[in-house]
Amino acid sequence: MRRFGLAVAALLATVVAACGGDDNNAPADKASTGGKLEGSISVWIMDPGSPKIQGVVNQYGKDFEAANPGTKVDIQFVPWAQAHDKFVTAIAGGKVPDVAEMGTTWTPEFADQGALLEQPGIGDGEYVSSLVDAATLNEKVYGKPWYAGARSLIYRKDMLEKAGVEPPKTWDEMTAAAKAIKEKNKGVYPVGFTGLSEHMYLPTIWQAGGEIATQEGDTWKSALNSPQAAEAIDWYSSFYKEGYVPKAAVGWEEPDAQTAFINGDVAMLIAGGWGYNSIIATKPELEEKIGTALTPTGPSGKGTAFAGGSHLVQFTESGNHELGAAFIDFMLQPDQLNKFTGEIGFLPGTTAGIEASGYLEDPQRKPFAEQLLKASAVYPPSPKWGGLEGANIFDGQIQKVMKGEQAAQDAVAELATKMDEEFAG
Amino acid sequence: MSMAPAAVQAGRRTAPRPPAMMIARRAVNRLTLPVLLLLPALIIIAGLVGYPLVRTVYLSFTDTGLGELIYGGSTWVGLENFREVFADEHLRASLVNTVVFGTACVVGTMVLGFAVALLLNQRLKGNLFFGVAVLLPWAVPALAASAIWKWLFDARYGFVNWALVNLGFEGFADYAWFAGRWSAFVAIFITVVWQSFPFVALALLAGLQTIPKEMLQAAAVDGAGAWQRFRLVTLPLLRPIVAVLVIFSTIWDFKIFDQIYVMAAGVPDRSADTAAVAAYREGFALSHYGLGSAVAVVLFLILLAFSLVYVKLIGREGELG
Repeated sequence: MRRFGLAVAALLATVVAACGGDDNNAPADKASTGGKLEGSISVWIMDPGSPKIQGVVNQYGKDFEAANPGTKVDIQFVPWAQAHDKFVTAIAGGKVPDVAEMGTTWTPEFADQGALLEQPGIGDGEYVSSLVDAATLNEKVYGKPWYAGARSLIYRKDMLEKAGVEPPKTWDEMTAAAKAIKEKNKGVYPVGFTGLSEHMYLPTIWQAGGEIATQEGDTWKSALNSPQAAEAIDWYSSFYKEGYVPKAAVGWEEPDAQTAFINGDVAMLIAGGWGYNSIIATKPELEEKIGTALTPTGPSGKGTAFAGGSHLVQFTESGNHELGAAFIDFMLQPDQLNKFTGEIGFLPGTTAGIEASGYLEDPQRKPFAEQLLKASAVYPPSPKWGGLEGANIFDGQIQKVMKGEQAAQDAVAELATKMDEEFAG
Repeated sequence: MSMAPAAVQAGRRTAPRPPAMMIARRAVNRLTLPVLLLLPALIIIAGLVGYPLVRTVYLSFTDTGLGELIYGGSTWVGLENFREVFADEHLRASLVNTVVFGTACVVGTMVLGFAVALLLNQRLKGNLFFGVAVLLPWAVPALAASAIWKWLFDARYGFVNWALVNLGFEGFADYAWFAGRWSAFVAIFITVVWQSFPFVALALLAGLQTIPKEMLQAAAVDGAGAWQRFRLVTLPLLRPIVAVLVIFSTIWDFKIFDQIYVMAAGVPDRSADTAAVAAYREGFALSHYGLGSAVAVVLFLILLAFSLVYVKLIGREGELG
């Protein structure tokens, strides 16, 4: 018994000594890594849905490892549809990646939870400013803009020609074009307006001259309970009610609409440059049949689209902040950045990157760039917005209006109440 | 179980009475081994079942969000979450969906399972092949099966609509199964039953094969028809197995998740969600962990009630038998 006690004491002494040693060494360790990068980081990137683009991202990891011997970058692709849940689970479980791509509307939400690291050194005019705004919470920036884009109109030239219509520039022209396309193209649905794509229907509220939410001091207040919002949702749903949209589309997400467009089931689609690239990549023979134009303008005369994109963020609970920051800066170098954005069809999130992209000289892609720079806006950068999106509170109501189960005015009034509950809670 | 005390008593009567110390020590010795042997399993059950259960019940009485989950500091709100579960239109609908749709799935599974078991019990040519084939749906992961069936029910490219149109039902051209609550439930019902009947069928087949042929022959000699033989001989003999299968099916079909998560995601206003999916979405999508836990606790209580009723029923069967 006594011998056992001695053994335990000896063991404890060793452990204590080891701990003490660690404590003493820790600050020195930190100081010494300033010059040379080491260790490994895990990186979550949203799945771009194409092996080629995945290759570009994987190459970042390899090039970075080659430039910094002794480092390891582990890149994982996360599908957009599951990403929000996955981040929540990771944060709750304490198993966060070191670096991640994050949808711009989620950054304030996770920053508000204390999960994200503040990003210092965001210079004036260095990044696309609306994307910096989207990453800002209480005057601190929590993500570096990676890329951005806004949705425009993509259409099948052959189907519009057959119907004898020009690409629509306004809401009324779009409705008229849909009618003509339906009559002249058998088995084709004119429009791919779906029930589960808030980036298609929410911007119509701006186009009608309304607002989504307004800031009041520290909190936000919904602006949806307005005649403009009702008019917008009414117009959006009218295509479904008239049979200009596939019946199943009430339960579709954006990729489903894109698939229908690729299959030639749908003639007009609201999609971004990334969607355009992915359509061409899936079916190259469509390239000469597709036209692009700015989003049709609503009663307000504006054709505002949602400026979406991604930030690169770091997590507070990451074990290697320094290496993570270095990897982000590497990805944001203009030449590196354009390898990715050129492939995926977005605009770079840095001004130097946009200058190097040559987007404005390409006639097919020019509308996407113009849309972002001249006719786009961001959703309220409230920490609650990501949760609103995650819960799809909008979709259910829009679906009801599309199916004719609720009047648009009642739907936006209910939505305003739900939004205010979330903003307050 | 009932044999052990008798044996102990018999042993005690013949042997000389040992001193009290000895009895106590022997009792401890007798208990130590079983407890030691059970301990690993108990620890695992306590960790994997007990802790999550207790924690979920605790969370359901708090206003825990994502921040509170990570850093603590949630406040006790009493029964507020449970009031919300029954007040909220969507959550209430999800509970009704769970009970009604779950019950329909149990009935469908049992009926189809019984029919297939009776067929396989007929000693027909190729029954071994069919026996194996019947197992296949059970071997498909639920998530994969849901994705496959969602495609089969696709409006434009799905096999189901193609087959129906070719059978003369023109109305099913481009028919959108998931654009309405009821049609979506039909599609999901088929998927769930397709996946869960094999287990029921095989368990019942095993039960059918234990019924002595002589009994059925005797009934036939006494003039009982096929339906009477099934109702008066087969069914009563299988009742214990059926009861267990109904409990299992109820538990599985009431906490159904994968099929609903995949197939009902686009149903307007999420009106086809079940309680399990609603709890998940309330917690993980909206970060309302307290409310999500409350939904889970209500689902747990519903299942507990159903299980207790069934266990009671089985117990009565045993006494009668």
